[in-house]
Amino acid sequence: MADTPAPTEPKPIVPFKPVILAHIHEDGSHTLDHYEARGGYAVAREHVGTTDPASLVKLVDDSGLRGRGGAGFPTGKKWSFLAKGTGKPAYLAINGDESEPGTFKDRHILERDPHQLIEGALITCWAIQSHQAFIYLRGEFILGYERLDKAVREAKAKGYVGANAFGKGFDITVTVIRGAGAYICGEETGMLSSIEGGRGYPKIKPPFPAISGLFKCPTIVNNVETIANVTHIVKNGAAWHRQWGTEKSPGYKIFCLSGQVNKPGVYEVPLGITMDSFINDYGGGLRDGKKMKAVIPGGLSAPVLTPDMVAKCTMDYESLAGLGSMLGSGGVTVLNEDVDLVDSIFNTMRFYHHESCGQCTPCREGTGWLEKLAHRIAHGHGRQGDLDLLGDVCKNMRGRTICVLADAAAMPMQSYLQHFRGEFEKKLHDPGLDEKARTFRDEFTATAKQATREHKAPSVLEVGLGMDRT
Amino acid sequence: MGKEVNIKIDGRDLTVPAEWTVIKAAHENGIEIPHYCYHEDLSIAGNCRICMVGVKGAPRPVVACAQPLTEGMEVTTTGEAVEEARKGVMEFLLINHPLDCPECDQAGECKLQDYSYDFGRDHGRFHEEKVVKSKATFGPHVKYWGSRCIVCTRCVRFTNEVSGENELNVIYRGDRSEIALFPGQVLDNPLSMNVVDICPVGALVSSDFLFQSRVWHLHSKDSVCGECAVGCNTRIDLDAKEKIKRIVPRQNDAVNKSWMCDHGRLSFDYVYDKRLHKPKIDGKDAVYKEAVAHAADLLRLPGSLALVSAWSSQETLAAAKTASEALGLPLHAYAKPSSQDQVFPGFTIAGDKNPNRSGLKTALGLDPDESLASLASKDGALGTVLLVHGIPGSEASPQLKQVLARSENVILLDFGDGDLLRNGNVTVALPTLTIYEQSGTYANRDGIVQKAEAAMEPVTYGRPAAEILRDLNKAAMQGATSKIAVSQG
Repeated sequence: MADTPAPTEPKPIVPFKPVILAHIHEDGSHTLDHYEARGGYAVAREHVGTTDPASLVKLVDDSGLRGRGGAGFPTGKKWSFLAKGTGKPAYLAINGDESEPGTFKDRHILERDPHQLIEGALITCWAIQSHQAFIYLRGEFILGYERLDKAVREAKAKGYVGANAFGKGFDITVTVIRGAGAYICGEETGMLSSIEGGRGYPKIKPPFPAISGLFKCPTIVNNVETIANVTHIVKNGAAWHRQWGTEKSPGYKIFCLSGQVNKPGVYEVPLGITMDSFINDYGGGLRDGKKMKAVIPGGLSAPVLTPDMVAKCTMDYESLAGLGSMLGSGGVTVLNEDVDLVDSIFNTMRFYHHESCGQCTPCREGTGWLEKLAHRIAHGHGRQGDLDLLGDVCKNMRGRTICVLADAAAMPMQSYLQHFRGEFEKKLHDPGLDEKARTFRDEFTATAKQATREHKAPSVLEVGLGMDRT
Repeated sequence: MGKEVNIKIDGRDLTVPAEWTVIKAAHENGIEIPHYCYHEDLSIAGNCRICMVGVKGAPRPVVACAQPLTEGMEVTTTGEAVEEARKGVMEFLLINHPLDCPECDQAGECKLQDYSYDFGRDHGRFHEEKVVKSKATFGPHVKYWGSRCIVCTRCVRFTNEVSGENELNVIYRGDRSEIALFPGQVLDNPLSMNVVDICPVGALVSSDFLFQSRVWHLHSKDSVCGECAVGCNTRIDLDAKEKIKRIVPRQNDAVNKSWMCDHGRLSFDYVYDKRLHKPKIDGKDAVYKEAVAHAADLLRLPGSLALVSAWSSQETLAAAKTASEALGLPLHAYAKPSSQDQVFPGFTIAGDKNPNRSGLKTALGLDPDESLASLASKDGALGTVLLVHGIPGSEASPQLKQVLARSENVILLDFGDGDLLRNGNVTVALPTLTIYEQSGTYANRDGIVQKAEAAMEPVTYGRPAAEILRDLNKAAMQGATSKIAVSQG
């Protein structure tokens, strides 16, 4: 990994106004009337059924749009991989199972501008010659579901969705599906399994979904934000999209800022701006004049950055990759000097343990082990050798599973150990922690027990009670 | 034959079908790759992650079970990265495993034990509390020990793909995952016990074999199941006293793949129960030679005939044919009554409950059902009927009963002391042996001829039916030596 990211070539600064989030603050932005009043569905009406689909794929490819779900795979390239001439239908599956902690961008599109997503889906369906789009929503998105469902009905009533869309003789069905609250269904093949009606178990790749995906048919899986981008790129052209961002990360992206900053929220910014500027100019800097301790740059699974790294970092795929982290889903969480990082990683591990689907051995067993170890250390029962063991368990989990959930759990732990090992060691050697931990635990278990009562297996917090060896 | 590719595994050049995966190419060529979730006759799940191998050019080990073959691929099944990966997986598999081998039925034939010995670490590093999962009874023959389960989903895939009854699935997530029945379901399909065989650990155990024996006290003999016309290849596990403890399928892709039905596995009680222990003349114990001589005398009665069952081996049929020709007895055949085939997506239990119907057709040129029907359709008294039975359960069909009722005497060759012996007009009874106690050759419904070796010593007095038939033939040829007068009715 490069020590410092290659400096991005200076580009003329083009003023940027939010594109996707432009109207979300307006009243009734989720209705068809509002959407059409601002020129909605004009792009789809123009292109669906008329424009050469291959030229649309090429346009998106030229724009350099990269997947906004987390992996950042070039969207046009993905579309061009779609198997053709198989005699099977092609599907579009739109991933709205936004569950990465620290990420809350898609819900704003779903709740406040669902027609934008539907228009993007219609254009994408025509571009990849699919008659069926599935939009898979996280089960907890009640408002998002209601509004999207209503939006699909409105579009259907107008003849934009359904048989003979826009009267151009091309049928496009849009189906909204709700998940049941599993993080793993945000993984593309896990989502496909869930749509198929099975357990949300990710599938082995290859074959990739573009060759054999949903119901063993060629399938394109894209994030909600990616599809929302399609309308604007088709409308304005590839060069327009490339005005912003860097060579390898063109365009703009929605970032979710959370943590101890003055103005947490959802910000649509050009890619390539400095993280410093993002946190300070957009986020208003850290609250109460505290110092920054760490930043989680791309959703909880992205390796953590130290303030030194943040100073060097720009908000694009290659800069973060160069720093050993990732842009991911764009969920930026800022942690100030008061945050106990060991508690923080324990909470992180608790999440992954809870969400591992349990299919592959290393993830199923490893996530639980990491949580138990982190719990023990955070509660003052750490032992010599525990930190090496943590590192070893992470190493054994990474790259050994069907999907990347094991990596997603191991990466933050590894990065915390790498950058903040001192914090762990301090806890290992702090005799006063026992008492503190016990008080904390007593308060915490009471509430946590209530929350975990529906689970059959003993929760780690309950397990914790068995570890009272003092 | 489809396309083939040239690959290299551990330096060995192999040419294998392109549609195989690495693990199949290795196993077919005698190269062992450890595996839990992979099963040749089930779909690929790729979840246990123990089968990792090195592929030249790949940045990290890949799972052999799901890795497609490409021309010129070079695979290594050893090496530091591979061993490291396996060691890691073994450790993960065992951290929440109860390690209750001393009381686990699987111990001794457990893949966790084997691979732990081969690839595992010599000490544990897990000092936390283990996850405890549920214990359940899935069906009449299958019990589940959740904590031992490694969630390889072989059993789930079996009920999806082979039995097609879909009783099982995984519930909960992560390390709480366990196998459970769908609400209201019971794992009681006729193939249910296969899930016990394919469970690589002690999670699914057979209620019938549970706590019966430690497997290292058993020794095995290969055999063929006689309970229907499929002719499943079996392995008979016997204890030190030569008592059958269980019957499990042996893989034979042409016959039964890796499966067999529960009925076939559990049908061995007749070897021990209600046996005909001694030759009998008119219901009284007799000496074998006497009985044979008396039988030979009886067969001289006019209107005598021989009647052989489709449970007879080829050897028995050949002896019956020779004897009947020499003694001038018309030869007829009959079969255990058939029912409908039980068809599952991946297996069929034949409705024909005879192991050698097709062999009988070839050897004697007779269809047993037609043969018996034509015999039963005629009226008139018969002389002596030489009945070569050998069917467990000995419940005679109405047609057979009707034929026997018309006869003067019946000479019964059978191993069971049942209905037929008491109510079948039997004058002489000669004890034979069960399919497990004698070797024999059988042709299944597809005409595949299979030899079943004797799996055990006879548990009681008895001789192979073929030997008795030869002795009868000899006795008849040498003239009557019986001291018992044969009444000429």
